[in-house]
Amino acid sequence: MLASLAGSTSRPAEPASGTASPRRRHDAFRARAEHSALRPRAPGTAPETRGRVAIVGSGLAGFTAYQTLRRAFAPEEIAVFGTDADPVATWRVRAAAIRQREMRSESDGHCLPTSFPGLAFSSVRRRRSLRPLLETVVDRYHPTVDEFLAHVERLRERSGWDESLVLRRVERVRAVDGGFDLDGERFQHVLLALGHPGLNMPEELRGDPRVVHSYEPHDYAGTVTVVGAGLAAATEWVNALAAGAEVVSVRRREPLRRPLNVPRHYFSRRGLAAFHRLPPRERIERLRTLSTPSYPPGAKWDEPLARAAGEGRFRVEQSPNGSAQVICATGFLRGFRHDPLLTRLVAEHELETEERWLVLDSDSAVPALSDESRTLAVAGAPAQWAFPAADTLAGAKYAAHRFLRRISTCRTR
Amino acid sequence: MSYTLRGRFESRLAALLPLLLGCCVLTAILHQWWPIELCALMGAVGLAFDLQAWRLLRYQPAWAMVPLGAVELGAMLAVVYGFGLQPPLWPALGLFGAGWLISVVLAQAGYPLLRLSYAEDGGELGRFGLVAAGAVALTLAGSGATYVAQLPPVVHLSTGVHQGPLVIRQREILQGAPGAVVKGGIVVAHDDVQIRDVTVIGGTNGISVDGYRNTVIDGVTVQGAKLDGIHVRLGGVIIRNCTVDMLGNPRGQGIDISFNMDLGMSMVEGCTIVGGQEGITTHYSMTDVMNNDISRTTGEAISVTEMSMGMASHNTVRDALGVALYCNDRSMCMFDHNTVIGTRPDVASGLRTRRGLALLVNFQSEGYLWQNRLVGNPVATSAVDNSILRRRSTPSW
Repeated sequence: MLASLAGSTSRPAEPASGTASPRRRHDAFRARAEHSALRPRAPGTAPETRGRVAIVGSGLAGFTAYQTLRRAFAPEEIAVFGTDADPVATWRVRAAAIRQREMRSESDGHCLPTSFPGLAFSSVRRRRSLRPLLETVVDRYHPTVDEFLAHVERLRERSGWDESLVLRRVERVRAVDGGFDLDGERFQHVLLALGHPGLNMPEELRGDPRVVHSYEPHDYAGTVTVVGAGLAAATEWVNALAAGAEVVSVRRREPLRRPLNVPRHYFSRRGLAAFHRLPPRERIERLRTLSTPSYPPGAKWDEPLARAAGEGRFRVEQSPNGSAQVICATGFLRGFRHDPLLTRLVAEHELETEERWLVLDSDSAVPALSDESRTLAVAGAPAQWAFPAADTLAGAKYAAHRFLRRISTCRTR
Repeated sequence: MSYTLRGRFESRLAALLPLLLGCCVLTAILHQWWPIELCALMGAVGLAFDLQAWRLLRYQPAWAMVPLGAVELGAMLAVVYGFGLQPPLWPALGLFGAGWLISVVLAQAGYPLLRLSYAEDGGELGRFGLVAAGAVALTLAGSGATYVAQLPPVVHLSTGVHQGPLVIRQREILQGAPGAVVKGGIVVAHDDVQIRDVTVIGGTNGISVDGYRNTVIDGVTVQGAKLDGIHVRLGGVIIRNCTVDMLGNPRGQGIDISFNMDLGMSMVEGCTIVGGQEGITTHYSMTDVMNNDISRTTGEAISVTEMSMGMASHNTVRDALGVALYCNDRSMCMFDHNTVIGTRPDVASGLRTRRGLALLVNFQSEGYLWQNRLVGNPVATSAVDNSILRRRSTPSW
């Protein structure tokens, strides 16, 4: 179907294959997809029902979901709507901005649909050492950012991602009979993998010329204030200190030290079953508790901070004061209301919400819009109601697995 | 991995399934039930730990499979030895190791490949888990049914005198009612025969087993046999709780087990033997002789001879003529915790080796003694003709 949509006379050239660089292929697909997306629909024709599956969002959550869907669908049966062909385009910039070298996730923090084989196996081959496997046995293995990016690139090449991609921003999702209308195209099952709605900047610091968000490219001044206490902040502390800066940490609360974003049992039914049973008020409280900033324990973090504190180059204060640079490691905007598509979806369909959360079934489906004949599910950050660590790769996989299970058992599929 | 309790059960039972099938094959090949018993025990011990202990672990890192496996192994061995199952140690350890390895490989690689959401589901396997659990239950039930079906038929011998000799030509349990007597002896002519609670009077041999395996003789009384009370050749046998009266028979043996070295262990336990030339004798045999009461023999009370390898322990010997405990003809013998009282010298024989010895080791044999009570015997111990006699708790073999 994607091919037919792209079949006009002025269709851009097919993307180069084989030895073409990822950049060139990316550009070629972008041109082709933009062409097909912008092609005007004949007036008076009804929106076409593709009768297949769509993912809205071409970031990491969408990409991870796509890998899962490929277990059951061919590339031409899946449409991925997004604004960038490279699934790590945004993530890459952010990781580079904080100079992240290692993933917080472990061996199974990858985009494959199954947790095995993990990235430790490819690291064994690449590093020619069994150390990654031994480390993963004791939960000490963390793939490097380069290894992760290479993994995504490999998957992108072999999964048919570019075949399924429609480079277009979906502005509106509307429920129709037996499916959903995505700006004029109909799909029976839709997964919203919209990503974070934007970077979070404290109100009081807006307009301050010294301020930069940690996920925006930046260098370090001589004196740096880092606002925040999560992994990005900890990475900034260490990197700024390594660059010779004097660092002030401004934080509202002391960070937790834990290996992953949330306690490990919240990644499985062991913790999720009890979480899903919580009444709304308690679930909100639990989500707030789990959102407390944290970074992993270990000498890798503690030693440089302790050394710098001893030298008087690292301290904790209540306000930025007179630092030459203020880095806001304050994460992302939270809540569905920051996302125009979700806001509109909620308003038009009067979907249930709780404070800033969109209420979802335990399998990440939107309850009011999912039934035996159609599915609307959410992956990534807005899916926290179903999975507390929704903005992780594990969270993306959780939503994808359940989405696939749901549509595989759908009687009209 | 954060397992749910159901996830632990399903993952364990699914991992047990291939092992259980292997155990079934092993049982069929070996004609022994210990592989299936061990597999079932492994499953039971594992499930018990899952239910009582491991479910308390919120998160179980991969390395924890080593200490958890070691704890389960220890518990399983305790149950095995506590209940006297006694499978061969190294094969049993090998079986456990194989089971552990299967579960590790499946948990780390197999299940995640089989089921996309294995980790998220806390180890639950969905329908496959239920099927696996059902298959394990069916396999065990089938094994149990097979075991029951293979039990030999029970033939009841009624109270009263039955004229023999009685020849048993099929696999069966001959169960005597109180007062059941066979005159003229019993001849075992098939493998896997059990004789229980029967009195045998007369016969060339009281009970004769020649060339058949797995015979169990339990609670029998033998009187007036012309040659041996219980006569075993080329067959494996377990004799328990018997009474053999050989008084007035100066040449016969109470129990004679011979030429079955290559048929594994035999055992004589809890028997009372009176009279006869030898009370219990073994020739070229591996037989344990335990907790027996032997008296008034005219040759030797317990004789381990002709390249036998045996252990005699916790026996009581009284009033033997010439020699009480005898290790002879290149045999290897362990005598421990026996009581020998009042052995009499065989003056009529004129032999120095029959001058009332509580224990004699003869002709290139090795005898080991440990904590025997030798009371009122003219000579306590003697080793002659290039034999060795040592006092130690464990024999050299």
